Amino acid sequence: MSTPESAAEGARINTEDTEDQKFVGKGVNRVEDHRILTGRAEYIHDITPENSLSMGLLRSTHAHADIVDIDTSSVEAHPDCSLVMTGEDIAAEYEPMVCGLDGITEWALAKDTVRFVGEPVALIVAENRYVVEDLIDLVDVEYELKEPIVDPLVARNDETIIHDELGTNVPDSETLKFGKSEAVFDEADNVVENQYSWGRISGVPLETAGVVAEYDPDTDSFDIDCNIQLHTLVDDTIYEPLGYDPDDVRVNVPPDVGGSYGTKIAIHRYCVLAAIASQQLNGRPIRFVEDRIENLQGGDMHSSDREYLFRLAYDDDGTIRGIDVNFTDDFGAYPRYPVNQVLKPLTNVTNTYDIDHVRYNYELILTNKTSQTAYRGFGVPQHLYALEMAVDDAAYDLGMDPYEFRQQNLIQPEQMPHKLPTKNMYDSGDFPAALSRIRELVENEEQTEEGLLDPDVIEARREEGKYRGVSYSVHVEPGVSGADWTDRQRSDRDTLDDRDIDDVEELPEHLRAEVTPDGRLCVSLAADSSGQGHQTIVKQLLADQLGLLLSDIEVDYLNSVEAPTEYGSAASRMAVMLSGAADGLADVLVANLKKLAATHWDIETDTVTYREGIVERDDNGDSLSLSELASLSGITDADEPLTHASYDYQHPVYEEEAYEEAFTNKYPVYPTAAFAANAPIVEVDTKTGEIEILKFYTLRDCGTQLNPTIVEGQAHGGLAQGIGAALLEEFCYDESGNPQSVTLSDYLLPSTMNVPEIKMEHTETPSPFTATGAKGTGEGGMIDGPPAIASAINRALEPFDITADCIPMTPDRIRRKLREK
Amino acid sequence: MSADDTKKTPERPTQEISLRINGKTVTEEVEPRLKLSDFLRNYVDLKGVRVGCEHGICGACTVRVDGANIKSCMVYAVQTDGSEILTVEGLNENGSLHPIQEAFNEEHALQCGFCTSGFVMSTFDLLEDNPNPSKSEMKDHLGSNICRCTGYQNIYKAVDSAAEKMEGED
Repeated sequence: MSTPESAAEGARINTEDTEDQKFVGKGVNRVEDHRILTGRAEYIHDITPENSLSMGLLRSTHAHADIVDIDTSSVEAHPDCSLVMTGEDIAAEYEPMVCGLDGITEWALAKDTVRFVGEPVALIVAENRYVVEDLIDLVDVEYELKEPIVDPLVARNDETIIHDELGTNVPDSETLKFGKSEAVFDEADNVVENQYSWGRISGVPLETAGVVAEYDPDTDSFDIDCNIQLHTLVDDTIYEPLGYDPDDVRVNVPPDVGGSYGTKIAIHRYCVLAAIASQQLNGRPIRFVEDRIENLQGGDMHSSDREYLFRLAYDDDGTIRGIDVNFTDDFGAYPRYPVNQVLKPLTNVTNTYDIDHVRYNYELILTNKTSQTAYRGFGVPQHLYALEMAVDDAAYDLGMDPYEFRQQNLIQPEQMPHKLPTKNMYDSGDFPAALSRIRELVENEEQTEEGLLDPDVIEARREEGKYRGVSYSVHVEPGVSGADWTDRQRSDRDTLDDRDIDDVEELPEHLRAEVTPDGRLCVSLAADSSGQGHQTIVKQLLADQLGLLLSDIEVDYLNSVEAPTEYGSAASRMAVMLSGAADGLADVLVANLKKLAATHWDIETDTVTYREGIVERDDNGDSLSLSELASLSGITDADEPLTHASYDYQHPVYEEEAYEEAFTNKYPVYPTAAFAANAPIVEVDTKTGEIEILKFYTLRDCGTQLNPTIVEGQAHGGLAQGIGAALLEEFCYDESGNPQSVTLSDYLLPSTMNVPEIKMEHTETPSPFTATGAKGTGEGGMIDGPPAIASAINRALEPFDITADCIPMTPDRIRRKLREK
Repeated sequence: MSADDTKKTPERPTQEISLRINGKTVTEEVEPRLKLSDFLRNYVDLKGVRVGCEHGICGACTVRVDGANIKSCMVYAVQTDGSEILTVEGLNENGSLHPIQEAFNEEHALQCGFCTSGFVMSTFDLLEDNPNPSKSEMKDHLGSNICRCTGYQNIYKAVDSAAEKMEGED
């Protein structure tokens, strides 16, 4: 057994490495783990202030209905009830919620009309959740039912409109054309056109949403602890509905959040309601913990639900000429902040293929379903899935081996950095080498006697009705989003052409630090975390930059008022943004400490040197340690003590001319191109329709790895979520708009039974644009897993002429397709 | 709207229970409808018992009752009156990590950590009966728990490593 300290830090550190890079690049054990493993981490569900009360929500049981009357008299009369409020009460004193598009009014509690099953209608406060649930049953709501709109393709032209003030169920759409986007379809020898469907999914973190809100009557301000993601960016979704200024609403995220994967960006409704309840109760702290059924049916957390009509133009010699992408995305009842996930696929629209001509058309549809939020990949997995299905279909029509077809069309390493027709640029990578390596790996390991792809084994399995297939493909994971493009849909798109780079507003990554009297460095992150290990990464980066030990550095978090507005932890930004921010912070701190020491000695700053936690006089070798420097911090007249430093790291390609066109036009900018070559081996049981992934081979490259252990973990977890999306997970609705996936026995998360052995190799192609050469890699497996699995299913079912044209490929879908043949 | 704190709360029926939890005797008055998971979290302050689904699927609330693992969201506290309960907090009482906890850290078998208490307890249960489980035995046993972050690969490594560490201790 080891002590807590040694278990938490450094068991994998190789001390023989170069002096200036002891920690970055090593699989340093995470510092977050000890408190979690011993059950002592404090998640939001664990925060229970003294005197606090519990809030619960009455939710709509209808998909679409007018509220005729809400009778709360029995609850009000009940001795256990501390507070009950309806939408009318909220609207009388507060402001509407923040919407992703203009022209829609959404209240935190439904007022007049309910638009999805699970939409909150009333809030109730009592001593604990058990009592709250009792009281919820006493509220009597009279509804007048309206026609539910469930099918997005019907919703497009439906006479029933979800938001009368919009006059349409398609509040946003755009057709973007790049190159000879239409002519190329006449010129090319062949065009393949097919429909592909991606089922409604989401991240479903094991920890549900939670809030503890406390109003302070003395200062007329709020403290809101919650597990929201991007708390410095989306805090407007909390303070605006409250009708308060940003500085009066302190949003704080605990250091440990039980997973988010993008989804918790949209938990603001709960934060707003708990804050309102606390204000109504004159500052009693209010707790809210979403239960799993609320989370699945009405937790504002569904994500992409797309129908594609995809066309791909190609010549007889196997050259892909152009793509024409048309899709609808069912956003449910209210278009939220992540409306821009319909645009992110522009960042890797041709995936790893060299294609010059692109037409891209989307329609954002509203239906009577729970609203969408972000989920790992942010709209890109769906696009790559449709693209790779069209590539398979074209290869099949052409009679060409899909591997050869893909290999022939890949972007070549000498074309890097490679600008896409949609103006984003890939930074670096050798895609052809990755594709040939993954095939070589699989063939060496599995096309052997008794291997998974031994022809005799394949034949024997077929006799039992089990069909095996493998497919090789290579995919780009775009990383490190810019911020300015994200409001394209709320901008005047006709005037974007006139903008120049000075009109582009990016959000830097903020990092600050302070030397404490005991000689340690206390660093504060402005971004929140939900399991990615940011505390560990920041320690690694700064320990190397400043020549310190990991145990010399503490890493804490800032609330939304202490921190500047910044983007935060999403869009695979943190490895790159923290690398740059740590770099800059270390420079500022060293300059400050040198100045402080020089002032103390009354000598010039350029006659002292900083190294490994001390500042030394060049002339006589005297030195001051960090704790000694901390005790001197008052000797200068600087406004801020010189033992403090902060740094704002600008987006790494903001000043790269090659990205200017994308920035100024508000096309999504994601400069780092992590990539993965995948080869899942699948087996389809044609009798039961069940699909098993026998083994998943993957070769991954995210540039320089800051912590290879964390990188590997991100890839494993991403792939597991990709497996869920491809085979298991879907939020289904019946024709009345009733959700059919409201427990974890309906919405199936991958378990040990579904995730096979993952055989992984890594290469490192550094990014030329980032401080450490790192590329973003938080989303990879979820992006490249589904298209790779669907393609392998296509190979397995080739004898039946069946393709995975809709996912998840559930057993009943496979059986239906087989019966139809 | 009502914000009235003056009304008198009626008494709800309660029952006294007495249990041994992580080696200590705990006696409390509880409502019969109180789930064991909520009892352990809110009455005994064992917040390492995580609640992820409250319908017996995710396994985050797994604890040991009288030598067998259960999902504590699926039983009422009163049903465990007189039992001996072990939670993740009881594994490392002398301040050092239990070999299973140590192995989970070293093999990076956790990310967000919300499922981790449950996996640690399931691993404890597995290794008690089967000190050297095969990969397929691990898969079977840990199929009772869901992890949304790790894809399970490093959890298998941690179980292997914990088994080795514990064998060395015996």
